[in-house]
Amino acid sequence: MTTDGVLYAGIDLGTSRSSISASNGQRHVVDSYVGWPLDMVARKVLKKTVVIGREALDNRLMLDLHRPLERGLIKEGSEKDEAAVRELLQHLLALVGADGKNAKIRAVVGVPAEAMRINKQNLRNAMKGLTGSLMIVSEPFAVAYGMDALLHTMIIDIGAGTSDFCVMNGRYPTEEDQRTLTTAGDAVDDQLYKLIRERHPEARFSIHMVREWKEKWSFVGEPKDRVMVTAPIGGKPTQLDITEEMRAACETLLPPVVETMFDLLSRVEPEYQDRVRQNIILSGGGGLVRGLGPALESALAEVGGGKVKVVKDPVFVGSDGGLAIALDAPESDWEKLAS
Amino acid sequence: MAQKIAAPPLDARRLKSRLLREMVRENLSTAAGGPPAALRRGRHRWRNLALGVGLSVLTVSQLASSRVQTASPERVAAAIVAATEPVPPAPAAGAADAERFARPTPIDPAVFPLAVRRVVLDPGHGGDNGGTRSPGGTLVEKALTLDIAERLRRLLEQGQFQVVMTRESDQSVALTQRTELANSAAGDIFVSVHLNWIVSRQSHGVETYFLGPTQDPELTRLAAEENRDSGYSLADLRRLLDGVYASVRESQSRRLAESVEHELFRALHPVSPDLEDRGVKSAPFVVLIGTRMPAILAEVSCLSNAEEARLLRQDEYRQLIAIALYKGIRTYAQAASHADQKGT
Repeated sequence: MTTDGVLYAGIDLGTSRSSISASNGQRHVVDSYVGWPLDMVARKVLKKTVVIGREALDNRLMLDLHRPLERGLIKEGSEKDEAAVRELLQHLLALVGADGKNAKIRAVVGVPAEAMRINKQNLRNAMKGLTGSLMIVSEPFAVAYGMDALLHTMIIDIGAGTSDFCVMNGRYPTEEDQRTLTTAGDAVDDQLYKLIRERHPEARFSIHMVREWKEKWSFVGEPKDRVMVTAPIGGKPTQLDITEEMRAACETLLPPVVETMFDLLSRVEPEYQDRVRQNIILSGGGGLVRGLGPALESALAEVGGGKVKVVKDPVFVGSDGGLAIALDAPESDWEKLAS
Repeated sequence: MAQKIAAPPLDARRLKSRLLREMVRENLSTAAGGPPAALRRGRHRWRNLALGVGLSVLTVSQLASSRVQTASPERVAAAIVAATEPVPPAPAAGAADAERFARPTPIDPAVFPLAVRRVVLDPGHGGDNGGTRSPGGTLVEKALTLDIAERLRRLLEQGQFQVVMTRESDQSVALTQRTELANSAAGDIFVSVHLNWIVSRQSHGVETYFLGPTQDPELTRLAAEENRDSGYSLADLRRLLDGVYASVRESQSRRLAESVEHELFRALHPVSPDLEDRGVKSAPFVVLIGTRMPAILAEVSCLSNAEEARLLRQDEYRQLIAIALYKGIRTYAQAASHADQKGT
C-alpha cells in the first residue's frame, strides 16, 4: 500500500491458475475454477453461494463448475463465464485485502493473448466496477515487462489452455508479434489420460488425478527416475509405471511449439534474429516440464543456436509483471482509466 | 520477485514509458467500445480499398500493390465482405427477379489471397431436427455429424487452426443462428458437415457443395429440405442473394469444395470400393448463402446405403472422414497462404 492509500495489484488471470501480486507485499494463487451450488442441498452443505479455486474443484459434483478461460477465451455470449471471471477477480482482490474499497485499487490484469484478441471488451465488462482503475494486457507482455525483456526477446508462455508466443521488439505487441496455440497443458492432460487408459484399462483414475501427476513428474527427453503413481484396480490401490506415457504426452508439445517458435523467429528482422534466439524465455506451467528448455535449445541448434531461459517463479511471474506495470504507469494514465 | 535478463541496449526507461503509453491508449480505446488499434488501422485501409473496388478505379495491378500484399488475413476477409456486399438496389416496382439476381462484375480472385486462420464448423442438424437415418433407423445424421465435426475440430486445433463450432451438443440451432454465429466469429471459412440420403439405396458417394444456382431438380429438393428450418423470409433471402454470387467468394468456395471432395474420395474409396465421387456442385443452401466467407457443405457419406451405415458405426471410418476433411481444408489453406506469400 502506498502512502496515499492506493493499492496497486498485478493479476494473472490464467486458464488453470490465477495469481495476484499486490503493492502491500501479498501474493496469492488460486485454481481458476468457479462453481455455483447446483441446488438447495448443495448450498446448505457448502454454506456458500459461490465456491472458488481448489474448493470448487474438490466439490465439483455439487457445483455448476466453470473454468472461465478454459480455451484461453471467455465463451462468446456465456454469461456464466463472464460472471465466473468477475467472481474470480473479486476473490483474488479480497485475498490481498482489497474488498469494499475499490476506488483505491489500481489493477493490471494479464489475460491469455487470445482473449485479448477476441474478447477484450467482454473481459473489461466482466471486471467493471471491481477496481478504481483497470488495465488489461496480454499475459506474455506482462511477463516481458516484469523481466525487463522488452527488446529482441521472445516469450513462450505455455499455460493450461493455450501456449502464447510473443516477440518483443520494443513496441507494444500487435497481432503480428503474437501467436496462440491450443496445444498446451490441457492437451497434454488429455493425451496422458488416453495413453494411461490404453495401457491400464482396468485402472480407475480421473483427468484431475492425471493433471496432478503431470504437474509433479512431467518431462521430455530421458527420464530421471521412473514415474510411479497409485490408482485403484478392482478397488485395490496399485502402483502403475507411467514413465513412457508421461514422456509421450509431454513430447506432443514439442512439434507445434518448435514450429511456432521458428515461424515467429522467421518474421523478425534478419539482423535481430540472432539476438532474439539468444533471449527466449519459457514461462507458465510449461516451464515446469523438465527438459523442455534444453529440448527447445536443441531445436534452435538447427537454425544457428539459441538460449532458452526458464523462469524461476512461473506461478507469479505474470502477476509480478502486472504489478510492475501498475507501479510504473503514470498517475495521469490511471485517472484516465478510472471507472 | 521477477527475474531480470540483461538490460536492452536502449534507454530502458524511455522504452518502458513508450510501451506504457501504447498500452494505455489501447485500454482507453477498448473502454470506449472501440476495436484494438491494429484493427482500427486495418479497417481504415480496407475501407479505402473496398471503396476503390466499388468505384472500379483500381486496376488489378494497383490492387496488387503493397497495401494488399502486407495485409493480414482478417483485413483481406473484411475487404472481400465489403467488396462483395453491394448496397441493395432500391426496390423498383416490377423489376425482374433476374435483374435483381444479376451477377456482379467478376473480380479476379487472385487479387484477394485468403489466408485461413479460423474455421467455422457446422455439424448439420441437431436437437429436434435429426436429419436422415440409416435403413434400420438406428443411426441418426445429427449424432454422426457432431461426432465427425468434433474429430475434425481436434485435428484442426492440432494443426494450429482456430475452430468455432455452431453447435457442441445435441441442440437445435436454426440455420440463421448458424450463419450469424459464423459471421460474428469472423470465420475465414465455413464447413458444414452432412450425411446424404439417396433414393436409390444402392448408390452411395461423397459430394461437396458450394453456393451457386442450380437447375437440377434433385438438388433443388435437397436444398429445400436442408433449408426447411432456416427462419429466413423470402425478402431476407433475396437481400442475401443480391450479394452472394460475387465471383470472389464463389471461386474460393469452389476451390475449398474441390479440395475437400478430392480428399474425401481419395481417403474413403479404398475402404468403400463402390463409393462414387459425386463431385463438386453448386446449390443454394441457406448456410452457404448467409455466411460471408468461403463456405461449403460436405455430404461426407450416405446414410441410405446399408454398407455406408455399417462403416459409419466404426470409429475408424468416422476418423477417416475427419482426417480427409482436415486434409482438404489444410490443402486449401496452404494454397491460399502460398498465394499470399507470393504477393509479398
